[in-house]
Amino acid sequence: MVNRRKALITGLLLLIGYAVVQLMLSMGLIDPFYENMLMNIGINIMLAVSLHLIIGVTGQFSIGHAGFLAVGAYVSAVLTTKLDQPFLPAILAAGVAAALFGILVGVPTLRLRGDYLAIATLGFGEIVRITLYNIDYVGGAAGMQVRHLTNWTYLYIAVIVMIIVIANLTNSAHGRALLAIREDEVAAEAMGVNTTYYKVLAFAVGAFFAGIAGAMYAHQFYVIQPVAFGFLKSFEILVIVVLGGIGSLSGAILAATLLSLVNIYLQAFPETRMILYSLVLILVMLYRPQGLMGNREITDLLKRRLGKEA
Amino acid sequence: MRVLETRGLGIRFGGLRAVQELDLFLDQGELVALIGPNGAGKTTVFNMLTGVYKPTEGEIRFFGERIDGMSPYALTRKGIARTFQNIRLFQQLSVLDNVRIAHQVNTHHTFIDSILRLPRFGREERRMLEESRALLETMGLLAVADEAARNLSYGQQRRLEIARALATHPKLLLLDEPAAGMNPRETHELMEMIERVRKTFGMTILLIEHDMSLVMNISERIYVLDHGVLIAHGGPEDVRKNPRVIEAYLGEAAEDALA
Repeated sequence: MVNRRKALITGLLLLIGYAVVQLMLSMGLIDPFYENMLMNIGINIMLAVSLHLIIGVTGQFSIGHAGFLAVGAYVSAVLTTKLDQPFLPAILAAGVAAALFGILVGVPTLRLRGDYLAIATLGFGEIVRITLYNIDYVGGAAGMQVRHLTNWTYLYIAVIVMIIVIANLTNSAHGRALLAIREDEVAAEAMGVNTTYYKVLAFAVGAFFAGIAGAMYAHQFYVIQPVAFGFLKSFEILVIVVLGGIGSLSGAILAATLLSLVNIYLQAFPETRMILYSLVLILVMLYRPQGLMGNREITDLLKRRLGKEA
Repeated sequence: MRVLETRGLGIRFGGLRAVQELDLFLDQGELVALIGPNGAGKTTVFNMLTGVYKPTEGEIRFFGERIDGMSPYALTRKGIARTFQNIRLFQQLSVLDNVRIAHQVNTHHTFIDSILRLPRFGREERRMLEESRALLETMGLLAVADEAARNLSYGQQRRLEIARALATHPKLLLLDEPAAGMNPRETHELMEMIERVRKTFGMTILLIEHDMSLVMNISERIYVLDHGVLIAHGGPEDVRKNPRVIEAYLGEAAEDALA
């Protein structure tokens, strides 16, 4: 009963959060600059949390996440602009296509661990980028013009659904199997965890949401080019996850929000932007080497506080 | 009833025959020890029995069924559980989660059930939680259920390893040097606990140990391995007196000195 009430309250808060922003948008209280910023944050949250499932929960060091983003962006863009399909099926197709690529990457790289897996996933990301570069149908290096279809409603629903799915998955027997793989793969296998299945599952689910983020990305920024999906993009996502604290979902959300803001406000200093950005990263790592949240969640902290008061 | 049987079991690593021509068996409810000096190939045998290594010769039967070459997780699901010589707990996870992960062998809900939180998910999670807590209580670990595994004392970690193995509902339990690094008092307590586990769960147990004196009291039969070859097999008394065993453990010079 307590759980049902908690779920009801959470649902209500989420609805209010959505409605307030939606109202402000339709009344013109949020100007395009801030709207763009909001979208940017949402997309980065999707990328960070989907990578968190692969790196933070399952412990598979993947640095090809931009590849899944690219697959989602291009698949959805082709569907809406070239084939005149509506946006919603294009979003789902982007997720499914990226998930298939996730399985495709997951299966052959399963035997690899640590550094080797990182290099293989990096290779995957580059293969996607270079392949797109050479397909004239999607514009090659010049990229594709995409209609602006992403809005607050789509993005909000996508982010919330993703967080619920990944949080529910993590807090279940299946999530514990993923955590066991992160902790000790040999022991996990000895405890009856089918490590092959679970690693592919993590890659597929993570890639699915990165693909959906790709659809949001493509239909937000008017144009997509292969150069935007290079390994620098993968590193950017990785940095968010590490900064948030490896293993913390709320950390990934927090870091995605903070870094998106830092990035946007630093655009006022184009010459020194990357230097300042790097400085922020170095400072955080110096003072919080375990990441902003460590491996804890916001809910853990709330519980502790409530426990003290009780 | 024959639980486990190997015939002509062997494995080569390149030119090295780590284990060869190994015939051993375990009957229902037996506690059998596999002993031998360091480097004799005991853990290699375990790794073959649990699917970590694929044997290059011979066969392994579990309740009559050929199991050699099957993957470790599939063997755990069939009912073979193990502990590790160098403790391999899920360090950052809680004691409870360590046991619950092992329990999930017996869950049937899919990841879709967990994402949508369907009724089957709730039922199975509750059952898993109850069973895990009961098991922790039996093993005297309930008080530390919410601690991270890495914060436990050495003896508690060893006990948790056994609890975790039991959580998979095994028919055969393989213990790899469970007393390694323990002082005599802890070892004595551990041996009593193994006896208790065996009685409570009616478990068939194969125990690896290199300290011979330790297993003398609790094992029904003992296999002695040296340089990958079985050099003796029998009751504790026969093995203790066997000249080849004494030689393997103490060397020929010692044997001369004893004579």
